[in-house]
Amino acid sequence: MSVLAPILIVDDDGWLASQYSRTLEIAGYRPFVAANALEAMDMIDKHHPHAIVLDIFMPGPNGIVLLHEMRSHSDLANIPIIVCSNSASDIPHGNLAKYGVMAVLDKTTMHPDDIVTAVRRVLP
Amino acid sequence: MEGPEQQVMSGGTTDSVVPLFVAAAHELKSPLALIRQLSLSLESGDYTAKDIETLARRITLTSERALRLTTNLTRSSRLEDSLFELEPLNPVALCEEVVHELEPLYAAKGRTLRLAKRSRPLLALANRDLLRRILLNFADNALHYSEGDSAVVISAQTVGGHVRLGVRDYGPALPANLWKSLGSSLGVHAQPLHSRPESSGLGIYIAHQFAEAMNGSVGAMRHRDGATFYVDVSSSAQLRLL
Repeated sequence: MSVLAPILIVDDDGWLASQYSRTLEIAGYRPFVAANALEAMDMIDKHHPHAIVLDIFMPGPNGIVLLHEMRSHSDLANIPIIVCSNSASDIPHGNLAKYGVMAVLDKTTMHPDDIVTAVRRVLP
Repeated sequence: MEGPEQQVMSGGTTDSVVPLFVAAAHELKSPLALIRQLSLSLESGDYTAKDIETLARRITLTSERALRLTTNLTRSSRLEDSLFELEPLNPVALCEEVVHELEPLYAAKGRTLRLAKRSRPLLALANRDLLRRILLNFADNALHYSEGDSAVVISAQTVGGHVRLGVRDYGPALPANLWKSLGSSLGVHAQPLHSRPESSGLGIYIAHQFAEAMNGSVGAMRHRDGATFYVDVSSSAQLRLL
């Protein structure tokens, strides 16, 4: 039996995160949820996610801070990131690519299943 | 040297730098996107009756949040041509109403909102609806930005001849430099609070307008582990006459 790929969801909106989590779980992944960037760092160490679904605007250290932090660790720099934001259209996608961001989803237009499509696309 | 608790007050003109409609659009985007995602999830089926009930409840509560904002906006736009009657009111009872109104939302998020106990009676001179809206605004904001298991606390007290109603949260502390910039702009215009990034500052701007319409003011105190946002209104002389 194959091991389910762990996926980390970082979003301060618990209700939205639980929807992502459920969708990914049904699709055969093993999701974990962190409510902020600090919690995310702990969960990355603990669960070694194969991909991260990341909100950008969160209380405290935001998603960009987490991206910076991950880039400073060679073992984390290659984890594929899917940014999922209400302000996706305002984010310069080109700047995010250098941080390992491989997909950007707009929360205001995405379909719940888009999260699964994006995860499948970024996983090796 | 900065103390553990710092305070900023509202003041200045109400010239809007960030157009209100942009700030309103920003603030509404988050609940609307959530409602959309929850609705699409419901459409996809494959939920138990209990799940459906939970999702429907979340959609309702999120809609109510968005509607509170839209009502505040319409009320805010009519401040100049409306006369808001001030009346003596019991601020503690008003705080209880706010706690009661937001309890379902707090409970659904697994959080607690409570009223600080007070033994001495208070009487404020204010407009009930505007004061209630200010508190709802602060308490709704506190729900989003507070962390951990600590309850958000609403309190009423007298401070310097005024009645102060405050909402204490236990969220991320605002960095000192941002706190200073908040001090110069609190209530002056809608602008982002960068460590509270989902906020466009619209809520505090509207609260400032509502407070001003009652000859009151809004302010905030920074703590090591969060913040207190408060509104000061006049104390009613009636209590002293009793």
